[in-house]
Amino acid sequence: MFLGAFTWTEFAQQLAAGIREGAIYAGLALAIVIIYRSTRVINFAQGEMATFTTFIAWSLMNHGLSFWTAFPIVLAIAFAGGVAIERVVIRPVENAPVLTIVIITLGLALLLNGLMSVIWGGANRQFNGPFSTRTIDLGSVPISVQDIGIVAVSVGLVVLLALFFRFTKLGLALRAAAVNPESSRLVGIRVGWMLALGWGIAAVLGAVAGMMIAPVVFLDPNMMQTILLYAFAAAVLGGLDSPIGAVVGGILLGVTITLLGRYVGFIGSTLKLPAALLLILVLLLVRPGGLFGRVAVRRV
Amino acid sequence: MRARLLLELAGFALLTLIVAALPRFVSDFRARELAIVGMYFIALLGLSILTGYSGQISLGHGAFMAIGGYTTAVLSVDGVYGHQIRDLWTIPIAGVIAGIAGLLVGVPALRLSGLYLALITFGIAVSFPQLPKKFDHFLGGTTGKILNLAKPPFGLHTTTNNWIYYLTWGIALVLLLAAWWLVRGKTGRALKAIRDSEVAAASSGISLARYKTLAFGISAFYAGVAGSLYAIANAYVNPDVFPIILSVYLVVGLAVGGLDSLVGLIAGAGLIYFLQNHADTVARWLNHLPALNLDPKQPGIPSMIFGAVLIVVMLLLPTGAGGLVRRLFGPLTSRLYTRS
Amino acid sequence: MGARVLFVCGVVAALAVSSAGARPVVTPGVSANEIKLGSSVPLSGEAAIAGNVARGIEAYFKYVNDKGGVFGRKLTFTYLDDGYDPGRAVNNTIRLIQQEQVLAVFSSLGTSNNLAVRKLLNDAKVPQLYVSSGATTFGRDYKKYPWTIGYIPPYSEEGELYARYVVKNIKQPKIAVLYQNDDYGRDLLGGLKRGLGSKTKSIVASVGYDPTSADVQPQVTQLKASKANVLMVFAFGKFSLQAFNAVSRLGWKPQIFVNDVSSASALMAIVPQNAANGSISIVFGKDPASPLWRNDKGIKLFQSILKKYGSSINARDLKDGYFTAGMATAYTMVDTLKKAGRNPTRQSVMNAATHLNEKGNPFVLPGIVLHTTPSSRFPLTQVRLQRWSGNAWHPFGKLISAKP
Repeated sequence: MFLGAFTWTEFAQQLAAGIREGAIYAGLALAIVIIYRSTRVINFAQGEMATFTTFIAWSLMNHGLSFWTAFPIVLAIAFAGGVAIERVVIRPVENAPVLTIVIITLGLALLLNGLMSVIWGGANRQFNGPFSTRTIDLGSVPISVQDIGIVAVSVGLVVLLALFFRFTKLGLALRAAAVNPESSRLVGIRVGWMLALGWGIAAVLGAVAGMMIAPVVFLDPNMMQTILLYAFAAAVLGGLDSPIGAVVGGILLGVTITLLGRYVGFIGSTLKLPAALLLILVLLLVRPGGLFGRVAVRRV
Repeated sequence: MRARLLLELAGFALLTLIVAALPRFVSDFRARELAIVGMYFIALLGLSILTGYSGQISLGHGAFMAIGGYTTAVLSVDGVYGHQIRDLWTIPIAGVIAGIAGLLVGVPALRLSGLYLALITFGIAVSFPQLPKKFDHFLGGTTGKILNLAKPPFGLHTTTNNWIYYLTWGIALVLLLAAWWLVRGKTGRALKAIRDSEVAAASSGISLARYKTLAFGISAFYAGVAGSLYAIANAYVNPDVFPIILSVYLVVGLAVGGLDSLVGLIAGAGLIYFLQNHADTVARWLNHLPALNLDPKQPGIPSMIFGAVLIVVMLLLPTGAGGLVRRLFGPLTSRLYTRS
Repeated sequence: MGARVLFVCGVVAALAVSSAGARPVVTPGVSANEIKLGSSVPLSGEAAIAGNVARGIEAYFKYVNDKGGVFGRKLTFTYLDDGYDPGRAVNNTIRLIQQEQVLAVFSSLGTSNNLAVRKLLNDAKVPQLYVSSGATTFGRDYKKYPWTIGYIPPYSEEGELYARYVVKNIKQPKIAVLYQNDDYGRDLLGGLKRGLGSKTKSIVASVGYDPTSADVQPQVTQLKASKANVLMVFAFGKFSLQAFNAVSRLGWKPQIFVNDVSSASALMAIVPQNAANGSISIVFGKDPASPLWRNDKGIKLFQSILKKYGSSINARDLKDGYFTAGMATAYTMVDTLKKAGRNPTRQSVMNAATHLNEKGNPFVLPGIVLHTTPSSRFPLTQVRLQRWSGNAWHPFGKLISAKP
């Protein structure tokens, strides 16, 4: 395979591409983490939920709305949808084995994917995001405004979430309900609704991620399928219950995969994903909760 | 206790009878379909030992099936030093090699818990298909490996489909018996103790590392055998024959069958085959519902049907078919218990 | 001597009479009023959209049936979902032969999926007709697999055509290649290299991407660093879109060639910022999304058939090239069945498929003749070059041959 000469310019470009790619994974990883925090479940439908809301945004914009008019409408729909999903299909099996709930999210993923194909068709579509695709030169490295925007949004979301969980009453209640439902109930927190709220927030995060990603990878019903795999890896790397971990994990993963694929000849494009997963496994052996996560320590 | 044993043995004898007689009542192609259900069943048995009995969730068992399938393909097409091995004899080898891979995965798995383990094993399912692409001289790349079509051996007069059916279900019954023996015995008790409380199990002298790794190895052996049979039945392997979704479907089958109900898994195996290959039949049934008119040939509709059925099944049977059976017959068996 | 010849002739004649008299020859899939054909295509999973090829075929066959069928027999077309999984394609194909008892398997989709069943079909002597894949092997390896025949121009020849164009028209070419790292991408790359011949060295960089990648920008970045002035995009669907996107974002301006499979108008039209302008590709089918064919008789026929005979058809399907591709193959299939005679057998169908001389297929470019012989099994090998500008492809030059 062609490796080519090493130049710092290209290295900087690859690094930028890796960070951008990582920010894409981070967006969805954040949503995965929020649901894991509130319900201890991994949501296989997270990707399809995000794509679905992005299609709704696409439809609205196709009917003449501007991105920023459509944006709040889509977020509201996403939130309502997330809450509704929790109430209708997750709530009834709350106390079932975790596998049962995981399988339901999987069923949801298949259902939504099929539904999107039926409603919007399987073709790729252009999605005009909020950011210009113009490039600006940093030194000799051309970087598009869009890429900077994607990274900024991911970082901004984490800051917002941190503030929400730390300083608002609702955020605190949400955390309490997840960590200790029994005691929370005693102090008057409506635990059931808190879990639904978690799903709503995750759906909103997914929708934002979808609308950021679609301009780059183009919109189709399967848009998130590969990205979901990477987002899972990012969430595990950062720690399944840590929002900051999701973003750091995502960007680390993006950079690692890009650089491994480019500069390690044996790995190339074929083995870059397995190689990254192997690295994550090694890290988990040292830190079983990921970079920022916590796992109840139990030594036996 | 003895009554329960007799009941289970009688159940097994009945199952054997049904398996032996079934091909007489169905078409030749249906026998092939049932054979593939049997392959899923074998893989699910292994998964049940791992998840149902030792509590470790694996979303990567498709990879162990792939290892089994590729072992059979390499041994029967390229052979060892040019000596091609008859497909039949590659089956145990495939199981053993997958089992060794399982043991290797089982060691790091000890350090991981719950959904972390699930996601890491999912990573194995995602990664495995890349290996044949990378080592294409040996494993055939995306072109894949074409096996010889399976033929009944020893001059048996039967169709290929019937042969694959009897081969698969013969192996399945033996492996069912082995799994049953295993989970009833010391190993099973140890595994269940670990699943219910690792701390308690360890303090009563059970070696966690040994049993958890063992469970991984055994379950991978089962998956390897299933993959080997699948390769023989299709006479073809390439990375797409063992797609990522296969690992997920196996877990679906496990949840539908009931985590620790060995026979319930037949229902799980049947469902994952049926939903993949007979979406048109399901659509016909569903179209009896008012205001519903699904065209199963429209892209997307088969996925919708699969997803919707899955959600409804899990909502109705949160503990799977095995859980349903326990709820229906629970009082009966407990009556039998007390009497003996 | 004479007596012996006479005797042999007598025996042969007697045998012929007795076998004809005993029972009429029964061909699977052919009855007094029906001919059954079958196919395995993805209707679920990632490639589900490509299953529209089979829906296009189904609609065309219904149209033909409405006009009396072929020699009075109606065509029945059974297509089964394989989710683009070769294992399921094998299962479907066995079901088609054994349960549905089709005369031939026709237009199954995907390279691996067809490779997986080729031996099986050839052993059972069931025709594997007009494979929906451009892998060269389906037309080339007829000695080993006499019951198999391809349809679209082989990928390797497509690569060669681009090479010839570059050698002839671009001074001091420095070629960068982005290819999908599998049989499909490598087939194209191999053809390109062969076409360059002694000038293979003008390929200054080639980078494969894996279909599990999220985005091909890193690969394009790497290719740009090679300072090439020509870029070959041998990709698939969204990856070619991403490639155009990355080229424009990196401020690179090479002459781009994009392979046929990823050059649908609907796809090209959504490339942002005119990054696709000036790109070159080949063309052989009529694209219903292209303004070029808006008033074309063939495309109008296509749309009227689809509206009347298709099932669950909506507006966007009328501009979907997969349906048109299906109808083009279906047209050739009907042609083949007519050629195979009043009482078609698997042998006579195969014979007809290898003696094609079809003119006027309304769903491919005007002037294309689909021609095969038993030793040249690439039915569709005439193509034109086309250039993308002003949001449409514009064919240029004469029909050229892509026959290996």
